[in-house]
Amino acid sequence: MTKTMTRVAPAGFDPAPERTDRTRPGRRGPGNRPSVLLSRAGVTAMLGLAALYTLLPMLWLVLSSTKSRQDLFATNGFAPGKDFALGDNLSYLFEVDDGIFLRWLLNTVLYAGVGSLLATVFSVAAGYTFDKLNFPGKEKLFSFVLLGVMVPGTAMAIPLYLIAAEAGLVNTFWGVFIPGLVFPFGVYLARVFSASYIPDEVLEAARVDGAGEFRTFCRIALPMIAPGFVTIFLFQFTQIWNSFFLPLVMLSDKDLFPVNLGLYVWYSSALSQGHPQDYLLAIVGSLVSVVPLVVLFLMLQRFWKSGMTAGAVK
Amino acid sequence: MFRRRLTALVCSVAAVGLLATGCGDSDSGTSTAEKGTGKVTFWSFVKGSDEVAKAFNRTHPGIEVTFEAVPSGQEYYSKLTNAVKAGTAPDAAVVEYPQLPEFATQGKLEPLSDSLGPLVKDHFPTSVRQLVELGGQTWGVPRDAAPLMLYYRNDFFESHGISVPSTWDAYRNMTAQVKKADPKARGGVLYTDNPGLLTALAWQAGSQWFGTEKDSWKVSLDDAPSRKVADYWGDLARKDLVTSVSSLDPFWTSVQQNRTVAYVCASWCAGAQQATVADQKGKWSVAPVPTWDGKPASAMYGGSSFVIPKGAKNSAAAQEFIKWITTDPAGMKAWVSSGTSSMFPADPKLLPVTKAAFPTDYFGGQDVYALGSKSYAAVRPGWTWGPVMGTTNTAIVDQLPKVAQGKVKLFDVLTGSQQATVKDMKRRGMNVAP
Repeated sequence: MTKTMTRVAPAGFDPAPERTDRTRPGRRGPGNRPSVLLSRAGVTAMLGLAALYTLLPMLWLVLSSTKSRQDLFATNGFAPGKDFALGDNLSYLFEVDDGIFLRWLLNTVLYAGVGSLLATVFSVAAGYTFDKLNFPGKEKLFSFVLLGVMVPGTAMAIPLYLIAAEAGLVNTFWGVFIPGLVFPFGVYLARVFSASYIPDEVLEAARVDGAGEFRTFCRIALPMIAPGFVTIFLFQFTQIWNSFFLPLVMLSDKDLFPVNLGLYVWYSSALSQGHPQDYLLAIVGSLVSVVPLVVLFLMLQRFWKSGMTAGAVK
Repeated sequence: MFRRRLTALVCSVAAVGLLATGCGDSDSGTSTAEKGTGKVTFWSFVKGSDEVAKAFNRTHPGIEVTFEAVPSGQEYYSKLTNAVKAGTAPDAAVVEYPQLPEFATQGKLEPLSDSLGPLVKDHFPTSVRQLVELGGQTWGVPRDAAPLMLYYRNDFFESHGISVPSTWDAYRNMTAQVKKADPKARGGVLYTDNPGLLTALAWQAGSQWFGTEKDSWKVSLDDAPSRKVADYWGDLARKDLVTSVSSLDPFWTSVQQNRTVAYVCASWCAGAQQATVADQKGKWSVAPVPTWDGKPASAMYGGSSFVIPKGAKNSAAAQEFIKWITTDPAGMKAWVSSGTSSMFPADPKLLPVTKAAFPTDYFGGQDVYALGSKSYAAVRPGWTWGPVMGTTNTAIVDQLPKVAQGKVKLFDVLTGSQQATVKDMKRRGMNVAP
């Protein structure tokens, strides 16, 4: 794949914009001419490379999913196969093992969907509290949250597993679900969002009108922070959707697997043990399991964008 | 406490020498062992595990085995390690031979000498027994062996008048002839992602990467036979006489596209070859793996054993189960019931069972198992896997892709891994003989 990429890369490099730049030297002084990398052509080329880097694996995945088992090995990864077998592959995917794949998808939706929704509610509530309310030890407590941001999730998997073993949660739904509810980075983000989206005056007015703290949060603050809410939700959703090591150690019952772990079980022993159909399953399954993420991002893009730029202009 | 246990273990490794003489407290083991009942959880990534568990449950009403599918590879071993640490380990689990010493020396396995030890002594030849015995203890029961063979395209060899090599010198000529006959085709592979085959070839040449001496480990990835093997394969790769590819889809793609017309692999490759490249049926044959001096010599690439992790809740029933799936004809039959596995049983008495289940038409009616038998009998005894194979293998794999590019010599890869291995062993408090 890397080979193909480097071969394709020069094609994405479009020299035309650079020429336009050179024909207008008057715009910038010759002294502070930006380096080649920062010129428009350079940036375009780099973005093109990045786009290829992102899209080529996707292209491979889409093409491979449409191939029959034989074509998969007989044809080039970036060329279509002789037979169009996507339909067969898909029906096999959903039939195999009594439809276990659908079960994995549903599990993932529960882990990632419900989990991140709750995590976001907690994060926003906590971030709002940190921003708007005063209580003793606030900043000390917040530095604990920041500490949580610094520790990567994978490093937490083993300690979490040991705790879950004590609590009897190993190999249960809760063993993966509960850790997904904690999202320190979301709390941090929510505090920032709260500061930029919710003016103190509005809360003041609500209080004057006699709304209690909880009501103020639910009725006034939450709607105002909605774009931030979506941003945090998407962050945590992708994080849980992609989380691999925690389910790996935590779960042994196939019926509880999230989709990525299930796919990995198919993939990891397929070729060495002479089960190429499992390899194909893993490929088609990967394609299917990417779809919900793409759909979700397209649907929530509007919020996501406004969330990303929140507070950029005051 | 952990340290002390470790040292004790490593010290007792010295007893390995005594064990080879075959003496021991064997006879009482199976008779006194109480019959197990109850629930058994069983972790495995080996294909057919679910059928085996089902078949066992059907025939053993007192025991209920729950099979749980796990991924293969390093991920599985870290999962198993952590499960033992947390006290949530399964009752029976698969561990491949290379990883067994690591689990044993870390005290993660239940010693089996008093329970399944006699069974292991009765059923398995020395070469494979030595892989599950360490420090005078039995740590696992072998399921399958993986003796080396040579796979080749009979149509290609015939039409270009190439003869099947029986020595490594002849093999080199063969790879040159193949390349000459078809510039796209190659007569072998050097895997870039898996050191297993390379290790097996060193083993076959008479190398012993690991050994135990008095109260310490001996590490010699850089011994003379390894140098011979590394120089040989490094040279083939650099001269582009063999393909350097990953053992996963790139390898099978090269086979499917007629770019790999011969390769050395273990017995299980027959099943993989047949299933993955189904349309080349009848075009493939097997031959004994080439040797350095023309006399039969072999080694193993792969293979698995079953263990009882430390802290297992139902060891007695797990023993029953492991005994059945490794040495009982009905158990072996359940493994290969799908008809696609060319698994070679480690217990030679079970050979007829697996042989009957494997269709031979793909290999033109050739008796693959007879060939495997000869290879299995020729596996060099005395091989021991090391106690930090994860480190050893990673150090090799990291460098393998650079060999074909000529950036590193294959032998230097081995010496590099030797250093990394010794360093890691010392870090873990093991004695390493200079």
